[in-house]
Amino acid sequence: MYATYVIWSKHMTKFWRSTEELVGLALQSVLWVVLFGVGMRGMVADVGGSDYMSYILPGIIALSALGGAVGGGMVLLDERLRGITKEYLAAPIPRLSILLGNASSTATKALIQATIMLIVGVLMGARLTVNPLGWLAALLLLALFAIGFSGLALAVAAVSRSIGGYHGMIFLFNLPLLFASNALYPLSVLPGWMRVIVLLNPTTYLIDAVRSLAFGVAPTLPLLLSLVVVLLFAVLGTWLALSLFRRSIRV
Amino acid sequence: MSDMAIEARGLVKRYGDLTAVDGIDLHVEAGAIYAMLGPNGAGKTTTIGMLTTLVQPTAGEARVAGFDVVRQAKQVRSHIGVTFQDIVLDQDLTGRQVLDIHGRLYRQDGELRRKRIVDLVDLVQLGDAIDRIVKTYSGGMKRRLELARGLMTDPSVLFLDEPTQGLDPQNRTSIWSYIRDLNRQSGLTLLLTTHYMEEADALAHQVGIVDRGKLVAQGTPSGLVAQLGADVIRVRGHGDSAHFVEEIKRMPFVERVEFDGDSGNVSVYVDSGSRRLVEIVGAGGGNGYSVEDVTVARPSLGDAFLHHTGRALRD
Repeated sequence: MYATYVIWSKHMTKFWRSTEELVGLALQSVLWVVLFGVGMRGMVADVGGSDYMSYILPGIIALSALGGAVGGGMVLLDERLRGITKEYLAAPIPRLSILLGNASSTATKALIQATIMLIVGVLMGARLTVNPLGWLAALLLLALFAIGFSGLALAVAAVSRSIGGYHGMIFLFNLPLLFASNALYPLSVLPGWMRVIVLLNPTTYLIDAVRSLAFGVAPTLPLLLSLVVVLLFAVLGTWLALSLFRRSIRV
Repeated sequence: MSDMAIEARGLVKRYGDLTAVDGIDLHVEAGAIYAMLGPNGAGKTTTIGMLTTLVQPTAGEARVAGFDVVRQAKQVRSHIGVTFQDIVLDQDLTGRQVLDIHGRLYRQDGELRRKRIVDLVDLVQLGDAIDRIVKTYSGGMKRRLELARGLMTDPSVLFLDEPTQGLDPQNRTSIWSYIRDLNRQSGLTLLLTTHYMEEADALAHQVGIVDRGKLVAQGTPSGLVAQLGADVIRVRGHGDSAHFVEEIKRMPFVERVEFDGDSGNVSVYVDSGSRRLVEIVGAGGGNGYSVEDVTVARPSLGDAFLHHTGRALRD
C-alpha cells in the first residue's frame, strides 16, 4: 500500500500549498459553528437536558465531513478529466491504491476540519465530556463516516463526465443525508413516517454516537448498533467506489 | 529469448461497432526508434494504449520488453515509460515534485531519485525552472518535463504519443535531438506516434504507416520512399485531370501516377525528373487540362503515405 501513501502525500502537499483551500476550510468551519450555533441557540435553549451547542455540534461536523468528501471526489474527478489518472494506470501500482489514496486524503482533510470545529465549538460553549478516549472514538467514527461518504462521492466521480454533472448528482445525496437525520432536531419530535426515513440514514447513527461519546448526551440509539452501522456504511461506500472505479478504467 | 523490444500479433480493439485497431502486427528491435505515422483517428493512440497495458485488446497479443501486456501487465508497466498525447501534468506541483512523485510511485529510493532528477534536468534543459510550479511553464517546457518523467524510471522501452504536437519548430527540433541522443547513448527503444512526416523522417529507423486501424506499409524511411521511383514531378492544374492522368500513364518512362482527389494534385513518378519534365507538361496542353504549376523533387514520406493510403497526410 506504499502507492496509496505516495498518492495521499501528493494530495496533502497540494493541500498545504493551496492557501485558498486552507483558509477556506478553516473559515468555513468557524462560520458554520458560529453562525449556525449562535442563531439556533437563540431559538432553542436546550434539547433533552443538554445545551443546544453540544447537541448541534456533531451534526455540523458531520455536515462538514460531507462537504469534505465532495471535495475529495472533485480531486479524483479532476485527475480523471485531466488524464492524470493515466500516469497512475501506467505505473506498476495496484488500481485500488489510486482510490485509497484519494479516500484517505479526503478523510484526513475532513478530520482536520472536524478538529477545528470541535475547538471552536468548545470555545462557543459546547461541553465536552472529560473522557479523551470518547473524543478519540468520536473522531474515529467521523473518519469512518468520511470514508463511507467519500466512497459515494468517488463512485460518482468515477463515472461523471463533467464537473457540473458531478455536483448535480452529489447534491441529491448531500441534502437528504443532512436534513433527513437527527442532526438538527431530536428523533422524538419527528412524525412516525419521517422517523423511519431518518433511521435509514447512516448520518443519524454517527451523530447519535458522537453526541454520547464526546458530549455526554444520552444516546437515543444503542451505541453498538451505531458503531456497526457506521462501519457498514464505510465498507459499502468503499465497495461502491471500487466497483464503479474498476468499471471506469476498464477500456 | 528474442531481441525484439516490442512484438505484437494481430492486435484488434473494438469499441462496440467501431473498430479502432484492425489487426496490427508490430516488430520493433531493441535499440530502434519506430515511428507510427498516420492521421488523427488512425488507431495509433489505441495501439499505444494496448502496448502500455492501459487498453485491453479485443483480440491478438503483444509482448513488450519480453512480457505479455495482458498476463504480465505489472512487469510491462515497470519496464516502460509513457508520455501521453495530451499534456498530463499536475499543474499545482513544481517540476521537481512531479518527477519525485513519479519516482516514488515506482519505489525508487531517495538518493536515486535525486540523482535521476539532476541528470534529467540537464538532459531536457529545464534548469532552474524545475523548482517552479508547472502552471507557469510554456508548452515546450511541459513537453520536456513529460519526457523527463517518462525517463525517470530508466525504462527499457519508451512510448511517446505525439511527442511534439502543438510545439513550435524550435521546440520540436530540440525534442528531436533529446530523443536521438537518448537512443544513441543508452540504446533505449522508442516507439512514437506522429502525424508529422518530417518527424518520422528525422527520427525513425523504421516507419509504420497506419491508416484506418491497419498497418499498411512498413520499412525504413528511405526504403519506403525508394519504392516509389527516382523522382517525382508534381503537377498542379485544372480541367480534365482524369484524361491527363490517362495520357501520361501511357508514357513508357512513367513508373506510377498518383492523383490526390482532395487537392487536385497529380504526382508523376519517373526515372529522371529533369529529363522528363517537358514531356509531362506537354501532355497537359491541348487536352482539356491546363498546367498551372510544376515542381520536380525527390519523393518524400508524404508521397509514400499518399501511395499506400490513397490520401494525403495533413496536419
